[in-house]
Amino acid sequence: MPAVLEFQDIIKDYRALFRRRIVRALDHFTLQVEEGEIFGFLGPNGAGKTTAIHLAMGFVRPTKGRGLMFGRRFGHAATRRRVGFLAENVALYHRPAENLVRFYGALNGLSGETLTRRTREALETVSLLHEANRNVGKFSRGMLQRIGLAQAIVHDPDLLILDEPTSALDPLARYAVREMLLDWRRRGKTIFLSSHLLSEVELVCDRIAVLNQGRVVRVGRPLDLLESREHFEIIASGVPADSLPGTEVQTDGRIRFLVTAHAQRAMLERIWALGGEVISVSPHKRTLEDLFLELTGGPGAEPRFRPKQEAP
Amino acid sequence: MKRVKRITLIALNFVREQRWPILVLQLSVLGLAALGLLSDARSDRDDILLTFKQLGMYGVAFSIFFGGSAIYNERRSRRILAVLGKAVTRRDYLTGLLLGVGLAAGLFCLMLGFTGTWTLCPIGFSFFYLWYLMGCVVAACVLSASVALFYSTHLNPWMSAMFTGLTLGLPGVLAFEFGGLWNYILPLFSLMRVFLKASYEHPGMSAGGAIPAALIETVVFWMAASWIFARIDVAVAVD
Repeated sequence: MPAVLEFQDIIKDYRALFRRRIVRALDHFTLQVEEGEIFGFLGPNGAGKTTAIHLAMGFVRPTKGRGLMFGRRFGHAATRRRVGFLAENVALYHRPAENLVRFYGALNGLSGETLTRRTREALETVSLLHEANRNVGKFSRGMLQRIGLAQAIVHDPDLLILDEPTSALDPLARYAVREMLLDWRRRGKTIFLSSHLLSEVELVCDRIAVLNQGRVVRVGRPLDLLESREHFEIIASGVPADSLPGTEVQTDGRIRFLVTAHAQRAMLERIWALGGEVISVSPHKRTLEDLFLELTGGPGAEPRFRPKQEAP
Repeated sequence: MKRVKRITLIALNFVREQRWPILVLQLSVLGLAALGLLSDARSDRDDILLTFKQLGMYGVAFSIFFGGSAIYNERRSRRILAVLGKAVTRRDYLTGLLLGVGLAAGLFCLMLGFTGTWTLCPIGFSFFYLWYLMGCVVAACVLSASVALFYSTHLNPWMSAMFTGLTLGLPGVLAFEFGGLWNYILPLFSLMRVFLKASYEHPGMSAGGAIPAALIETVVFWMAASWIFARIDVAVAVD
C-alpha cells in the first residue's frame, strides 16, 4: 500500500527566544501511515504526538529530516485540500454552526450547492443538524468537538488527522464517532488518530504506534503487539489446582495459568504426569494498557530538556 | 479565482471578528458628527475641523493595533490551526488579514468622509479635498497596518506596536528635518501632515507621490511579512 503520510527521520527542537534550553519534541522520528488504514498514535503527555501532527499539517517546521503527505512535502497547501484536521482542544469562531462549517468548507474550495449539501451532511454525521442555527460559542465541550469533526469532514477528505477526537464525548457520541471512523475506512479513507483512550484505539485501529520521549518505541498491528512471545497461557483439566503454582480455577473446573516460554515444556509434561489433560496453549494477550505502561515506563513521562551546547 | 475567494473569506472573517471595535469606532464618528451638527457650526468651525483631524489620527492608531494583534490573537486562541489546516497558504492568510484591516480602516474612513461631508462642507470645506484627505488617511492606515502585521508575525502586539511606531516615526523625523526623498520612505508623516495642515482657507496641499509610495511600501512589507510568516512555527506561543 502506498504511504499517505511519511515522517522521515525527523528531529524537532523547540527553543525559547532568550533561553538556553532546547526541548527536543521529536527525536529521529520515522513513521509511515498507509492508505486505507486507521492508524492509532499513542503516547504519554509530552511524548511528541501533537508536534508530529502539527508537523504533518505544516504548522511547525522540522529542525531536521523531512515528511511527506500524499507524496508532497509537509506544509503544501493544495495537498491539505485532501486532509481533514481536528485539533486537540478545538478552537473555532463563534458563529452559527452551519455558517461555521460552511466557512471552513469554502476555505477548502467548496461552493454553491455542493457546499450547502456537504455542510448539511457533515452536521448530520455528527448529530448536530438540529443545532445548525445555534451559535458555536454556546456549545458544550462535547458539542464543540463534534462541530470540530464536522469542519474536518465537510470537504470529504481522503485523510483524516484527528488529535484526541473523543476526549470530551459521552459514551454514546464516542460510539457514533467510532462507527463513523470504521465507515470511513470502509470507503477507503485513511485515518491518523491520536488518542489517550486505549480501549478505543484497540477497537478500531489497524496499526498502532507508541511514542515516548519523541521516539517511536513500538509500531505494529494491535494483535501482534499485544500477544506476548515470552508468556503463554495454559488451560488444563483433571489436575488438582493446588498441585501447580499460580493457577486460577475456572467455573467449569478447568485450571488456567501463565508460564514463561522457557518453562512451557516442563509444565506440560508435569500436567500429563499428574494425569491431566491440556486443553489449550496460547500466547498470553496483554491489554493495550499493559503494553502502554511497559513501553512508556509508567504514566506522565516528561519531555527531555537539554542544555544548548549538547544539541546537535 | 478560488484563491481570491479564500482571501476574501479570511478578510471578511477578520472584520466579523472585530465587529464590536469597528462598530464602536463608527458610532463614535457618528456621535461626534451629530454633536458637530448640533453646535453652532459657523462659530465652532475650527473645533469641528480639529475633531475631524483627531478622528483621522485614531484611524491610523487603530490600524496599527488591528494589524499588530491580528496574528497574535489567532495564534493564542488556536483558531489559526483550523484555518491553516485548510488549503490556505500562509501568504493567502496574511493577505486576508491585511485586506481585513484595510476594510476596517476603509469603513472607518468612509464614515469619517460622510460625516465630514455633512459637517465640514456646509461651512466652507472643499468637498473634493475632503475625500482626497480620506484617501491619504486610508493609505496611511494600510501602510501602518502592513508594518504592524510584519512585526506581528514574530512579536506580541505591544512589541509590534512599539516597533511599528519606531519604524514609521523615524522616517517621519528625517522627512521633517531633511525633506526630499525621506517624504516617500514610509510616508506616514507626509500623508498625515497633509491631513493635519488642512484648513478652510488653504485646502489645496497635496501629498504628492506619498500615496502611491505608501501603497508600494505596503506591498513590500506584506511580502516581507509573508516571507517570515511562511518560515515560523504557528502552533507555538508568540511570547
